[in-house]
Amino acid sequence: MRVTADRDTCTVSSLCVYRAPEVFDQDEDGHVVVLRPDPPEHLHPAVRDAARSCPTRSIRITEEE
Amino acid sequence: MTAPLSYPFPWTPPMEIPDALRGLRDQAAVTVTLPSGDRALMVTRYADVRALFADHRLSRNISRRQRPDVARISADNELFADPEINPDPPDHIRVRGLVTRAFTARRVEALRPVAQGVCDELIAAMKAGTRPTDLNEAFAYPLPIRVICRLLGVPLEDRDRFRYLVDGFLSVTKLPVEEMQRCREGLWQYLGELIDSKREQPGDDLVSGLIKARDEDNNRLSEHELRFWTQGLLIAGYVTTASQIGASTAVLLHHRELVEEIQADWSLVPSAVEELLRTQIMGSSVGTLRYAVEDIPLSDGTVIAKGTSVLLSEESANMDEEVFPEPFRLDIRRTDNHHMTFGAGLHYCAGAALARMELQVATRSLLEQLPDLRLAVPGDRLPRGLGGFTEGFTEIPVTW
Repeated sequence: MRVTADRDTCTVSSLCVYRAPEVFDQDEDGHVVVLRPDPPEHLHPAVRDAARSCPTRSIRITEEE
Repeated sequence: MTAPLSYPFPWTPPMEIPDALRGLRDQAAVTVTLPSGDRALMVTRYADVRALFADHRLSRNISRRQRPDVARISADNELFADPEINPDPPDHIRVRGLVTRAFTARRVEALRPVAQGVCDELIAAMKAGTRPTDLNEAFAYPLPIRVICRLLGVPLEDRDRFRYLVDGFLSVTKLPVEEMQRCREGLWQYLGELIDSKREQPGDDLVSGLIKARDEDNNRLSEHELRFWTQGLLIAGYVTTASQIGASTAVLLHHRELVEEIQADWSLVPSAVEELLRTQIMGSSVGTLRYAVEDIPLSDGTVIAKGTSVLLSEESANMDEEVFPEPFRLDIRRTDNHHMTFGAGLHYCAGAALARMELQVATRSLLEQLPDLRLAVPGDRLPRGLGGFTEGFTEIPVTW
């Protein structure tokens, strides 16, 4: 799994940070920061949940085959 | 053709999800009549609502002075629109960024002990007082006003004056127009005084931060925007959360078995809070009123014509059978609960994380510190405040 996030469209809901704090953080203004672009498998469900919950669909996940 | 539905939908009986929400999604959009008598097109399905919240073809600029044909919510749209404020990008992105930085997860979590301290104090006062008591007055309203006053830097001694003005400001049909007007002017004046005093004596609060941003760079924030957004934050941080704390708690207490389930496992608090947010929207979706600046097709092929006034029904989206299994069932263990109560897209509720935190702290504190807390009247007789922007319970007599 590869995770990227678009800071330009991020609207600071903080939902990703609450759902997957090991993977997402926020800068001083609250915009999303990806801490682990290649999260370990046990975090994948939380990352998918965070991506689904994002109000501006600013989180992109690429699943590897 | 059937007659358009009246909107907001009445919550009668008060503990039941409005009947009007059943089967509403057979059509992607239905025409509704607003309290003003004007009509708007209400979007009903989750997928459309979610997509349209993020669609730039729907403008949030509903000022009648700029768009004379936009539907009126009540007598005018001044509650929701200000001709000097542009709520669309790029202006809105510039201003929103100044505000949202106060609501990061870190800053919200820093307020959690503050909220806990307020809850402990309020519950101690309840225990020392008489029974039954009104949960709204004793707990649900004082908690968020104290938290938001702390965040924004509003002195506590201004609380009562502020609360009266806001309650009047938010009245859609409850108060005579002149009284509502007086409250609006009073609130506007109060905010001017607050900003003046913060400018003289800045603190480590959001209003002081906004003033600093304004005084450093006039292009970042106008004086009018400064006052307008301070007003928006005060109202958004107070009444909506207060009403939801009351409504969520009342519904939980009406379902004693759910209270016991939570008391046996406190890790259920967050999912219970989300489920109550999904099913117990304390407001209506009148605040989502938008104006189509282009034709927009919906999921069933219907086209929203340019120039239509549009409502995005959060409560209907939250009952969408395609998204939520058994949507009319209250399931405090529900997972994948991505409800629309806080909206979506660029305008997603800036204070959502703060509201969630307060609801979690409030729910646990009440059920833990008052384990026998219960409604003092049958739940189906609790009065709901219709005719206001918020539609929570106007009084919640409780005992323990």
